[in-house]
Amino acid sequence: MSDKVNLLVDDQPVSVPKGTVIVEAARRLGIQIPIFCYHPKLEPVAMCRMCLVEVGTPARDRATGELQRDEEGNPVIRWFPKLMTACSTPVSEGMQVHTATERVQAAWKATLEFLLTSHPLDCPVCDKGGECPLQDLTLAHGSDMSRFYKSDKHHFRKPVPLGDRITLDRERCIYCARCVRFCDEIAGDSVLTFYGRGRDQEIATFSDPPFDSKFSGNTTDICPVGALTSHDFRFSARVWELTNIASVCPYCPVGCNIGLAVRSNAIKRVMPRQNEAVNEIWICDKGRFGHHFVGSPKRLRRPLVRRNGRLVETTWKEALSWTAQRLREIRDESGPDALGGLTGAHVSNEDAYLFQKFFRAVVGTNNVDHRPLATGRAEDEMLVAELGAGAGTDLTAVGPGTTILVLGSNVEEQQPVLYLRLKQAAERGATLIVVGTLPGKLDRYAAHTLRCHPDSEAWLLWSLIRVIVGERLDNVDFLDRQVEGATSFRTASRSFSLNQALELTGLEETAVREAARAFAQSEHGLIFYDGDFVSKRSNPSLTEALRSLILVTGHVGEPGSGLVALWPQANAQGVADMGLLPSLFPGYRPIGDTPAREWLGQVWGAELSADPGLSLRQMMAGTQEDRFKALWVVAGDPAAAGYGETLTKLDFLIVQDLFLTETAKQADVVFPAAAFAEREGTFTNLKRRVQRFARAVTPPGTARPDWWIVQAVARLFGAGWSYDGPAAILEEIAQVVPPYTDVSFERLGTRLPQLATTSESHHTYMGTCLENGGWVGQPWDNEAGTPDRRFKLRWVRPWVIQKSQNGVLDLIHSRTLFDSGTRIAQSEIVRPLIPKPYALLNPRDAARLGIAAGEVADLPVPGRTISLPVLLDAAVPEGTVVVPENLGPQGGGD
Amino acid sequence: MIKELIEGLGVTLKWMFRDPVTIQYPEVKRTVHERFRGRHVLHRHDSGLERCIGCALCAAACPSQAIYVVPAENSNEARYSPGERYAQVYEINLLRCIFCGFCEEACPVDAITLEHDYELSSYDRRSMIYTKDMLIEPVPAGGADTPQHRYAPPPQEMPSPSYHRGRVESPPPGGVITSWVERE
Repeated sequence: MSDKVNLLVDDQPVSVPKGTVIVEAARRLGIQIPIFCYHPKLEPVAMCRMCLVEVGTPARDRATGELQRDEEGNPVIRWFPKLMTACSTPVSEGMQVHTATERVQAAWKATLEFLLTSHPLDCPVCDKGGECPLQDLTLAHGSDMSRFYKSDKHHFRKPVPLGDRITLDRERCIYCARCVRFCDEIAGDSVLTFYGRGRDQEIATFSDPPFDSKFSGNTTDICPVGALTSHDFRFSARVWELTNIASVCPYCPVGCNIGLAVRSNAIKRVMPRQNEAVNEIWICDKGRFGHHFVGSPKRLRRPLVRRNGRLVETTWKEALSWTAQRLREIRDESGPDALGGLTGAHVSNEDAYLFQKFFRAVVGTNNVDHRPLATGRAEDEMLVAELGAGAGTDLTAVGPGTTILVLGSNVEEQQPVLYLRLKQAAERGATLIVVGTLPGKLDRYAAHTLRCHPDSEAWLLWSLIRVIVGERLDNVDFLDRQVEGATSFRTASRSFSLNQALELTGLEETAVREAARAFAQSEHGLIFYDGDFVSKRSNPSLTEALRSLILVTGHVGEPGSGLVALWPQANAQGVADMGLLPSLFPGYRPIGDTPAREWLGQVWGAELSADPGLSLRQMMAGTQEDRFKALWVVAGDPAAAGYGETLTKLDFLIVQDLFLTETAKQADVVFPAAAFAEREGTFTNLKRRVQRFARAVTPPGTARPDWWIVQAVARLFGAGWSYDGPAAILEEIAQVVPPYTDVSFERLGTRLPQLATTSESHHTYMGTCLENGGWVGQPWDNEAGTPDRRFKLRWVRPWVIQKSQNGVLDLIHSRTLFDSGTRIAQSEIVRPLIPKPYALLNPRDAARLGIAAGEVADLPVPGRTISLPVLLDAAVPEGTVVVPENLGPQGGGD
Repeated sequence: MIKELIEGLGVTLKWMFRDPVTIQYPEVKRTVHERFRGRHVLHRHDSGLERCIGCALCAAACPSQAIYVVPAENSNEARYSPGERYAQVYEINLLRCIFCGFCEEACPVDAITLEHDYELSSYDRRSMIYTKDMLIEPVPAGGADTPQHRYAPPPQEMPSPSYHRGRVESPPPGGVITSWVERE
């Protein structure tokens, strides 16, 4: 018995999976049944009554159950006496549907007449005008007359703010409940509801602050009328005047596909672009409303050089030649290792590649880094390259049979759209294990929540492995076939004391055992770990535990299994791929790997240094000792990360940024860079999908793309580079970086059929970006899945955790979605969402220290005292204080 | 032959006593027909508020893309038009305009009409882009200039049945066709 169902829609046969609703079946045939409340991503509710159709099913003999047939042998159809809603009626075998009959057409006309009884028809001032399903369906199926008195129209005062970002126009609402259902079903923030009855019914929010959701902007996309509009886009342009440019969100590594709607060389709004592999059709409010930095009047417009202690505007020619001259002088005096470079982790792949190539091939040093606080240990960085989840991993398909372990990351705050997808995977039946010190919203959907003591994550992971090995749940086949050292690993595991681990982590034995069983026994296993946390700790035991957990369970290489690193910044994955690390060449080849180094030297035509480079931490330490002299910072702000004083000791500091950051104020040369929307390029997201973004607007003043600036300096150094754009650089990346072999600008521009869009069929789906059928990117695959690949298992005992004594509090860093970064600060609309710096304390600790909520207090943490306003939260473990690290002044947001 | 000569000169003589066809422009100006399509005028309500709501339908209808509108939101503190929306920037490039009148036809609030000013020339192209200040009519007696400090609800009689000149008093022959039944 197949799970396909055959039916006739308007006498045309169609075969669809069981459980499909009639609207979807008709759409396969190109028949558009008009809808308002139905949305393919939401549960059907049949509230708007727009999709009424005639439905009949084959009649059966009551006694025998046989199909009844007429004289000609055709099945007799028993038609339902009333019209049925096509959005909520599932198809059945032999069903017949009529959409074109007079009865159906009359019903559509009448429904529209009812929906318009109190609609204000203020289309000329309405922001939805031009992309409004109500307009389009009225034109297609409605009447030019109404039998209702105009003076009976029910008016509401307009508009009312529904929170800080969304405006509600109650007159326009047709009560489809798409926004309410989105908040309940997709976002998991039940903050909207209907209030009142009949004509007085209205959408209301009951959260404090109102409409408290990170995904509120999506409701304006799916609203089929102009009832919900965003403050940001309100009255800024008509939709038909906008040009939509395919782009990728520059904030977090989920890499949501976005469309930049441009008019008169300015970004007017950001809309999601559909990509089922990345963000479906959703984006978070940071990506939607955080675009104002591009058009900010505070942007740098011309190069600046320091003359007599002051930064003054100058020409590119002068700034570049002075930079090259100074860098060369310092190199000749103190050697190439006195120079180094740092980028932010949100520069494009092409910029990152060229920047490290400049330092390695032209200057002759490996001193490049991209994270101000990481140690740059090669093993921490290579986790994903070695054991990353298979390239075919599709989170939309993850369900029963997969166990997802999330380690140490507050996904909801850091990668909001990934949170939506993990939540949905759990709701579809995947087992979710959340591991970490602090509670998060993801806990609600977790089957196992392992809340451990601060800094005991390594102990917890090893105890999971201990249970898996001890209960013989390890994947023996895989271990025998591809893994070395399994026997000694098993022996070592026996000497690991589970009781000691339980004591240090503060967990129950049954909880640990159950979680371990769930992870080991499921068909697929995914681990999402906080890459920033791992690389900052640089704890060999933690890194090795992540490897071992994947290896002993054999969740390696196949789609839907493996490691995924969660970073705070947009292109952290790609920047690491490009080799912007002191210890690794592009493509994760260690500096010590002589054949690789020689090959790379040949391709680049230069002698490459065999000494591992310095991480930023080490560069700054070198500056203190007067060994390290010149630093080039691209799109980073080490001063905000606490290096401000050290930077003043440098002989030469180059900063390349969009704004005059704290670091730039100390610089000797400042280059104005073009923002992501002002140039082409590619980002690689956390699932290693390489995605291309296009140029939407022109840069301010004479600002230039980062790759252009790096190339200009390199040419003055005598390098014969002549890349004419990111496409040419990507061509070279494809040769040099093995995982990127298949990647090219053309292939990244592949389009895949998506849900129908507003532009092509208003009548079925509506509400996402006007142009959403484009550029889905492509994932790069590691070699974990190849059967002859060998792995090594090593048991690394975790560190003994040092508990703070004498009332000193353990300091835990968290991150908030809206932070003190220079880019997000330019968006007026999200400013109320950026919290002031605070410290979270357990109420019992607060009582012991005599601190009241809201009070600014001096808190003793290891090595220093921090002074911050205190908020109380019972979920914070006793003896610890939680401080968001990205709220400044020491924060260093992005 | 003499006869023909006299006849011909007679015509000349006759025209000597008639009014001349030529007009002594610019001292004398020709009056134009009521429905002549000259330079656009943006109208005001009696209160002085601008009729234009910044919907940009004129720009959408314009076949030569001569109109540029940047809308913005009214507030009770600074009100330019009734309702929520007004035109912050309203520019017409009169070098591009072909005076077809589609803009006045598209306008849902009778804010723009083509009036009788035909003296449109300039020494440079820049000054042929007419801005809102140049297009808008003077504040009527009893009204106040914009921005005003008050609340004004959106115009409920939209769209109005009268297209042209914005002040047709009597309905056209055959009555007004509206999509709504008016209560007796």
